[in-house]
Amino acid sequence: MLDVRGLNKIYASKDRQVEALRNLTFTVAPGELVCLVGPSGCGKTTLLKCLAGLLDPTAGDVLVEGKPVSGPPPGMAVVFQEYGRSLFPWMTVAQNVELPLRVKKMPRARRTELVTDALAAVGLADTPSAYPWQLSGGMQQRVAIARAVAYEPHVMLMDEPFAAVDAQTRADLEDLIRAIWERTGVTTLFVTHDIDEAVYLGQRVIVLSSSPTVVQEDLTIDLPDHRDQLETRALPRFTELRTHVYAEIRAAKHAVLSAAQR
Amino acid sequence: MTAATRPTSRWPSSRRVPPSTMLGIAGLAAFAVVLEVLPRLLQLPSNVLPPLSSILSALAGELRTVAFWQAVQDTVVQWALGLSIAVAAGASVGVLIGSVPVLRRATASTIEFLRPIPSVALVPLAVLLFGTQLRSALLLIIYASFWQVLVQTMYGVVDVDPVADQTARSYGLGRWARVRYVVWPTAMPYLATGVRLAASVALILAITAELVIGSPGLGQEINAAQSGGATALAYGLILVTGIFGLVVNVGVRTLERRVLSWHVSVRGEVTQ
Amino acid sequence: MTRILPRAAQAVALPIVLLAIWWWTSASSDSFYFPPLSQIVSTFPETWLTGGSHSRLVTDVLPSLARLLVGYTSAVVLGTAAGLLIGSSPTLRGLTEPVLEIFRAIPPPATVPLLVALAGIDNLMKVLVIVFGCVWPILLNTVAGVRAVDPMLTDTARSYRINGLSGIRYLVLRSASPQIMTGMRQGLSIAIILMVISEMFAASNGLGFTVVQFQRTFAVPEMWTGIIVLGLLGVTLSLAFQAAERRLLRWYFGLRQAHRQE
Repeated sequence: MLDVRGLNKIYASKDRQVEALRNLTFTVAPGELVCLVGPSGCGKTTLLKCLAGLLDPTAGDVLVEGKPVSGPPPGMAVVFQEYGRSLFPWMTVAQNVELPLRVKKMPRARRTELVTDALAAVGLADTPSAYPWQLSGGMQQRVAIARAVAYEPHVMLMDEPFAAVDAQTRADLEDLIRAIWERTGVTTLFVTHDIDEAVYLGQRVIVLSSSPTVVQEDLTIDLPDHRDQLETRALPRFTELRTHVYAEIRAAKHAVLSAAQR
Repeated sequence: MTAATRPTSRWPSSRRVPPSTMLGIAGLAAFAVVLEVLPRLLQLPSNVLPPLSSILSALAGELRTVAFWQAVQDTVVQWALGLSIAVAAGASVGVLIGSVPVLRRATASTIEFLRPIPSVALVPLAVLLFGTQLRSALLLIIYASFWQVLVQTMYGVVDVDPVADQTARSYGLGRWARVRYVVWPTAMPYLATGVRLAASVALILAITAELVIGSPGLGQEINAAQSGGATALAYGLILVTGIFGLVVNVGVRTLERRVLSWHVSVRGEVTQ
Repeated sequence: MTRILPRAAQAVALPIVLLAIWWWTSASSDSFYFPPLSQIVSTFPETWLTGGSHSRLVTDVLPSLARLLVGYTSAVVLGTAAGLLIGSSPTLRGLTEPVLEIFRAIPPPATVPLLVALAGIDNLMKVLVIVFGCVWPILLNTVAGVRAVDPMLTDTARSYRINGLSGIRYLVLRSASPQIMTGMRQGLSIAIILMVISEMFAASNGLGFTVVQFQRTFAVPEMWTGIIVLGLLGVTLSLAFQAAERRLLRWYFGLRQAHRQE
């Protein structure tokens, strides 16, 4: 479904060049839920923007459903970290969720159906005519997720969507993502800096190195399919996996530091 | 990111003119070329749109006459005098009303009613009372500019941080000291905006007075040039008023930046 | 109930007092230029309302309003369209900015004699004067509003493939609307001034023309009624504009308040 080959991105300004992504290669099979985790500043957002077609890579290919990406591909929905700035403040919740469908020229009856379903799926069935700025942060992010769900995408990209949300809300939203994924089977790529979150949610966890970024490790999460905040996180296998990922990331940071000291 | 081993230079290695300036100059040049070529190409009669060269040469000739500079002086004097009086009155009344909540509430409806009255409504009154003297132009200019300054100053005074004010009070600062150290710095950016808006309004009204009332000044010169058939000169004089307006605008903005250099970054949304 | 009364009373207190002062001080005046307010009020009906379809209301006020409406609306359409175009293209903006600043700096009344010569003293000239005068604040504010669209919102729209005309309709125009309304407000006051000036300078009918005629024929009480009508016009239009603004920008005021409470 998602095929990344040799992705390379260099930011060039008039004084210097910054190689944000060096050589990223990985795939995501249809229907998979894959988490991307890495140290801060490792270019996660750059990667996501390249995948979403919002940024052109310097080299390498991104293929979505076999077709190369040269602009935002159809059938892809993105949920950004800054929910406050990704919802249109002049539209109500329902209108926000409906907008991509309207632009796609979908007939009204079907639009209403999708919007109602999506809002119900994220637990916001009774606030369709509120404005985003009247809602809390967690609820706003739910609206953004509902918008992505209503779009019926083939691929869903999420860029640290819960980083700006408090811990309890985050736990609820993590379960929400998992539930939506189980229900719709949409291919999901979830970027985060939270190691526990990545291990809890993903079927696979791809660990990124520090900048200049490469794929450090591609780890399969062999936890039971039914994830629960209390039970799964208490499993010894969970602790093993998260420790492993944490060690990888720490090693990545040290490698950079010692290279800098040389 | 590998740590940089050489110090980052403070100045760019090549001093390049920002591209937007280049574009701006190119745009101006293109406009000048069009203004020169189009009238000739379309063979427009000279009383519709003369080519740029005719306009500029008519203007050059005018710049040598005493009458022109007299007119410029007349306009500038009206404008400056009216503006100064309006700013002084508007600022003082604005501070007074703004600092006393009772006054604010009592005068709110009156201000909202008087403010949108177009000052051109006073033209006939001005003509009756003062004829073409300076005072009739001043009546218009002051009336229009006063409201701009008043309203902005009031916004500024109202915007004073109550915590800062209370802190000053608890340190024993009397009313005047508070005005000087707390109210004034907060209100200053608003006052600056008010002065900028008032300056441009004052210019509009000065030209209006010259046109409609017949006070001496650039507006009258434009009228005279047009009725005398000297269209190129009329265009040139219009350009002169535009340049004056630009100079005023740029001047006030520069003054604002200098005086408020400590504040520009703190300034929030300024209603215009 | 008792709270509303004092507030309403406060609002009308000063105006009533001022009117009363005017009434009483002018009642005994025999100044030619400042007739008693009572006389002004009594002259009102016969000056403006008598004559049915030949009353000044119909022959002068309505045409003035019509010109104002046509001129202002044209300026809004032109200014917004041009502003959208110029604001979306940095190149276009760089090219046109100095030229536009020059045009904006020209005090609109200065162009009246020229336009009279070009377009005569009829409706066309007056509409042109209004358009040329008030298009600049609308245009320049639209450009500013378009530039200030949150890039996060633009990215979101792009990711959902909301581009081109849909982008303008659902994103750019709505996002820039507060700024555009600021420009429209400035434009309205300029439009009123220009309407009056163009009629005072050269016309055969209209509000400005009538008032100047009264002054020239020394019909002083009538002149005062004209001044009052002009004043009422300004106030009414301003109130109408504010009401429209409050409705169209309801989302914006709500958003600002929500931010202020944070």
